[in-house]
Amino acid sequence: MSGLGFINPFGVRELPGTTTGDFYTANFAQKAQPGRVILNLGPQHPSTHGVLRILAEMEGEYVWRAEPVLGYLHRMHERMAEVKTPQQFLPNMGRVDYLHPLAWNWAYVGAVEKLAGLEPPERAQWLRTLSCELNRISSHLLWWGAFVMDLGGVTPILYAFEEREKINDILQIITGSRLTMSYFRLGGVCADADDRFLALTREFVPYLRERLKMYRGLVTDNVILRRRLEGVGPIDVDMCRRYGATGPVLRAAGSPNDLRRDVPYGTYPQHDFWPATGFPDDCFGRYLVRLAEIESSLDIVEQAVRGLPPGPIMVDKPPKANFKMPAGETYFAVEGARGQVGVHLVSDGGKNPYRVKLRAPGFSNLSLFAEAAQGTLLADAVAILGSLDLVIPEIDR
Amino acid sequence: MTVLDNLAADWKKCGACVVSRHDFRKDGLTLSAVTPTKALKAAAEALLRAGYALLDVSVMEVREGFLATYHFDSFAEAGRTALRTLVPFEAPELPSLSGLFQGAEWHERECSDFFGVRFFGNPNPVPLLLPDDFDGPPPLRKDPAALAPLSALGLFGVPEILDPAWAELIGPGGRPKGDRA
Repeated sequence: MSGLGFINPFGVRELPGTTTGDFYTANFAQKAQPGRVILNLGPQHPSTHGVLRILAEMEGEYVWRAEPVLGYLHRMHERMAEVKTPQQFLPNMGRVDYLHPLAWNWAYVGAVEKLAGLEPPERAQWLRTLSCELNRISSHLLWWGAFVMDLGGVTPILYAFEEREKINDILQIITGSRLTMSYFRLGGVCADADDRFLALTREFVPYLRERLKMYRGLVTDNVILRRRLEGVGPIDVDMCRRYGATGPVLRAAGSPNDLRRDVPYGTYPQHDFWPATGFPDDCFGRYLVRLAEIESSLDIVEQAVRGLPPGPIMVDKPPKANFKMPAGETYFAVEGARGQVGVHLVSDGGKNPYRVKLRAPGFSNLSLFAEAAQGTLLADAVAILGSLDLVIPEIDR
Repeated sequence: MTVLDNLAADWKKCGACVVSRHDFRKDGLTLSAVTPTKALKAAAEALLRAGYALLDVSVMEVREGFLATYHFDSFAEAGRTALRTLVPFEAPELPSLSGLFQGAEWHERECSDFFGVRFFGNPNPVPLLLPDDFDGPPPLRKDPAALAPLSALGLFGVPEILDPAWAELIGPGGRPKGDRA
């Protein structure tokens, strides 16, 4: 078959026999036991969120083996980082994870600032926290809608989008965009919060708290939802550790790990909030963790609006176009909506970084799917997939 | 003895060439070590016992060869640590850590895609992010003329050099001061 004569680092592979389909299908089918069905989910399947593809070997309704197939959205951001200056590369960060772009903004800007020894002014720090948390809420809301839709409930996503639109309206005022936001700059942020932004944010916090009560009655306490989620797909701390899973997946497993509290950055040490823990380690636990995080993010937003200090939003001498980072290495990580967003930055003292490694939390979270889905019903495997909160552009980068 | 002291002692027992202490606020690391490729698995096992998780595998090209950096984090306290190993361009072969940290499988496949390095013992050595019919040089390989020497990248914090051969590779002073450019 074609497509196998590629030059890959593993040497040219020859598959025996004549199998149909592409490389992965052939590879999968080759190892399949007789009597089992190879099922292809995606890359355009509605339950796989974008362009994720899952190959599953099924025995009846049960998943014998399931393997995610990646790369359909791969854009080689790490290469782009090496051929662009940090300022030129910043807009890329909004495109890596389109649901929580400000966390990626922060991770990259933070890494460069760490290396260059830049300290953004107080007001810029507070605006970063404020915008990042609003963005986290919108990310969790969209996940909530899409997850319940995966399980067969179509209505909630319409509610989720209503709130999400409100957040987009608010964030648009300061970031200038509704999706792939690029708000952070080296040494500060690009626009100051005006009265309209603050007034809308102040209005939004109590509004969403009321709506969350309604969601509890409408969705969380719904018996059908509970039966689909409770006891399904347990993921414990040990499994998270072996696969490097972080974020809500890890917190649902019982570890209170949250970079906002453990390795505080920005203004988080000045905020009063609780990491979401104490939930079961199944799909329902991961559902509850994210809803609890919306509430704690609302607390942070409220505190940030109240405590926003006056002052400049940019360092006195922001880096110019010919800015050169000092030689050195740093690793900066922030808590994104899906877990630890890390940037490993190495500079040789030139204009462009020498090497940038982007650590996507979804990548590690998805890698445990094969183990978590083994032996479950196909419908439960879809619930597990949804409970991991996948954003494929981030995984494929 | 703190967790980090224990780790440093374990790594030295495994035969680490360099063990470095870092300023977390500047480098984002607390402790790192360079190990011979043969000792990488043993050094990673010490991290597994100490309750660390593998965050990512970050390969980069330097003049001396491929430098693989494995980042670990403990979910308890202590902070991020890193293990490094250097493999020559002629034999870009690394041991797979997927027996210890199952998540390593994907990270290693990604590195193979981007750099053409091989990981022995990886259970599923097929391309992960690049298409299976990708026909071209590994996309993150650099122009040989653009490669920086290991000593110019300031990777080693405050190093304790155990293998004299590495004293020269690291160069004087570990982290370069001032602006090289």
